[in-house]
Amino acid sequence: MTDIGSLPTTGSAGNGVWTSPFRPRVLRIENALDETPDVRTLQLSPLDGGPLPAWAPGQFAEWSVFGAGEAVFTLANSPTRGPFLECSYRAIGKVTWALRDLAVGQVIGFRGPYGNRFRTEDWKGRSVVFVGGGIGTVALRAAVQWVLDHRSDYGEVVILNGARTVADLCYKHEMPEWQAVPGVRVVRAVDPGGETPDWDGEVGMIPAVFEKLGLAPANRVVVACGPPIMLKYLFVSLGKLGYAPGQVVTTLENKMKCGVGLCGRCNVGRHYVCVDGPVFTWEQLETLPNDF
Amino acid sequence: MTGTPKDRAGWRLDRAQAEAWLGDLLSAGRSVYAPVERDGMRVFGLVVAPGDVTLGEGKTRFSPKEYVFPRTETLFRYQLDDSGVTLSDPPPDTTERVLFAVRPCDAAGLIRLDGMLAGDVFYAARRARTVVVTLGCDEPGPECFCTAVGGAPHGTEGSDVGLLPTPEGILVRPLTPKGEAVTAISSGGWPAASAADWERAGERGRAAAAAILRQPIAKEWAARLEASFESAVWSGIGERCLGCSICAYVCPSCSCFDVQDQGGTSCGERCRSWDACSFRQFTAHASGHNPRGDQPARYRQRLLHKFGYYPARGSGEWMCVGCGRCVSLCPVGIDIHEAVRAVMAAQPEKR
Repeated sequence: MTDIGSLPTTGSAGNGVWTSPFRPRVLRIENALDETPDVRTLQLSPLDGGPLPAWAPGQFAEWSVFGAGEAVFTLANSPTRGPFLECSYRAIGKVTWALRDLAVGQVIGFRGPYGNRFRTEDWKGRSVVFVGGGIGTVALRAAVQWVLDHRSDYGEVVILNGARTVADLCYKHEMPEWQAVPGVRVVRAVDPGGETPDWDGEVGMIPAVFEKLGLAPANRVVVACGPPIMLKYLFVSLGKLGYAPGQVVTTLENKMKCGVGLCGRCNVGRHYVCVDGPVFTWEQLETLPNDF
Repeated sequence: MTGTPKDRAGWRLDRAQAEAWLGDLLSAGRSVYAPVERDGMRVFGLVVAPGDVTLGEGKTRFSPKEYVFPRTETLFRYQLDDSGVTLSDPPPDTTERVLFAVRPCDAAGLIRLDGMLAGDVFYAARRARTVVVTLGCDEPGPECFCTAVGGAPHGTEGSDVGLLPTPEGILVRPLTPKGEAVTAISSGGWPAASAADWERAGERGRAAAAAILRQPIAKEWAARLEASFESAVWSGIGERCLGCSICAYVCPSCSCFDVQDQGGTSCGERCRSWDACSFRQFTAHASGHNPRGDQPARYRQRLLHKFGYYPARGSGEWMCVGCGRCVSLCPVGIDIHEAVRAVMAAQPEKR
C-alpha cells in the first residue's frame, strides 16, 4: 500500500497543454457475449486504431456510456489474451443498463487502467486457488488467464467458480478451456436450490465447498472475490483450515468516481481503494476499518 | 524597498483608499471576489463596483472555495455521430482571480484543499492564478474554533496579502511575491503604517484569540480517533444526523466530488460537482450493498477523515480549519468540535 506522497499527479496544465485525466479514450464494441441473463462480456478496441493501453491483472477502469455516465469495473482479460480489451459487467445500475443497450459497432469511453494489480510474480512456485462468487469471478478472470498462460511458473491451479444458480454462473463457455490445461482443476458450484436436474457440479455455499476440496494451506495462495457475505464466511473457513491472512488475496469493489485518488468516495480508513487497491490481502483488510 | 515581503512595514488605508485599490485591480483585469450582500446573505461574489464589498465582522455563509473548486464544472463535452464520438475539453480557465477579504480560516482551508486536489489539473490551474488577500478576524463567533486546530484569528497561512481591520479601514502587508504584485498596482501613494498601527491591530487579534474558549484538538489524537471506529460512542453522535450535508457544502476544506453526465445520448457534457460523504448515495453500490449503511457510520466517516484518516495518512494536518460553519448551520445542532472531544473522552488512554 502506498503513502500519500505517491498519489498520482493527474494531468498538467503547463505550457498550454491540457491533459485531463477525466477525458476518456474511445473504444469500439467489437463483440458481445452474454455470460448469464444479466452479465455480458464486451470485446473492445480503440476507435483511433492505436495500441491497447498496458495493463496488468487486477487493475480496473472507468467505463462510460456518453449520456449515462461512468462506472468502474475490472479489466476482465489478461494482457496475454489480445487483441481486444475485455470487460464483463452485470446490468444493475444506470450506466450498466445503458451499456447493455449498446450494440456492436457503437462506442464507449475508457479511462485507465487504474489501481494496483495482483502480484502474480509472488505466486511463482506456489499453488494457486481462485475462488469467485457470482460477478466476483470477473475480477479474477484476468489473473486466471495470466496464470494459465504462464502455467509452468505455478503449482497446482484450482478454480472454484460459484454462483447462486446455474444460469448465473459466469464464463460457462470458457471453463472447459481452463479445465483442459494440465494441472488445472475447475470446480463449479451453485447455492443449494440453484441447481438444475442435469447439474453435475457442486451444490453448496462457497465456503463449505472450499472446505470439502481438501486444499492444504502449505505453499498455496488463495485469490478470492465475491459478495461481502461470501468473503466473510470464506475467511472463517480459511482460518479453520490453517490459512494465514497473508496468503489470501482479494479485491475491494468500493464505489468510485474518479479512479485517481481525488474524489474521496472509495476512502477506507487511511486508504483509497482506487490507488492503494483494489487488490488487498486478507492481512491488509484486517488493518482497515470495516467500511467496505 | 528591501527585504522579504513579510518584513515590509505595509500601509494604512481608509475605506476610500481600499475601494480605490479594488478599482485599480478591476481596471488591471483581475477578477475580484469579495464578501458582498446577496439574497440577504454575505457571500463571496464577483465584485462589479468596489462599494459593494462589505468588510463587516463575521464570515460569509460559504467559504470562497467555489472559485478554485466550482460547485459544478464541465470536464469535457461529447458529440456522438456516425463515426463515433467527438470529445472536446473546456477551454483552460485563465482568469486572474483575487480573493479579497478572505478570513484566515478560509485561507487555511485553501491550503487543506491543496492537500487533496493539488494534483487535479482543473483545480491546479485555477489555484495557480489565484491571489488570496486575507482579512484578520477581530470578532470570532461562538462556533469558531480556529485556535483549536492550529489557526489564529490573524493567521496568515495561505495568505498572499495580509489585511488587518482598523477602526478607519485596513492595514495592508504583502506576504508573498504574488501578493506584492497586487499591492504594487496601487501602493505608490499609500501612507505607510507604523509599528504602533500593527501593534494595536495585533492586540485586537490576540484578544480575539483569547475570546475563543474552545479547547484544543491534539494532533496526537489522530491514531486514537482511528482506533475509535468500532466504539459505541458513534451511534450516539451520529443518530441525529439528517444526512442533509450542509456541513460539507459550507466547509472550506471538503473536497469530495461526483462525476455525472448532463445531456442526452447524442450530445452533452461530463461534469463534476461537490458531493458529501454524509449522503447515503455516496457509497451505495448498485447492488444495494452500502459499506456505510446508516447515518452514524456516515457521520463517523466525515469526522474521522478530517481528524484521523487524513492526518494519519501522512500530512499530519487536520482536514478542518475551525471556521465553525458546520456547527452554526447544522439543523440538528451537531458540533464537530464537541464530537471529536466526545469520541476522545470515550476512548481508552492506551490501546
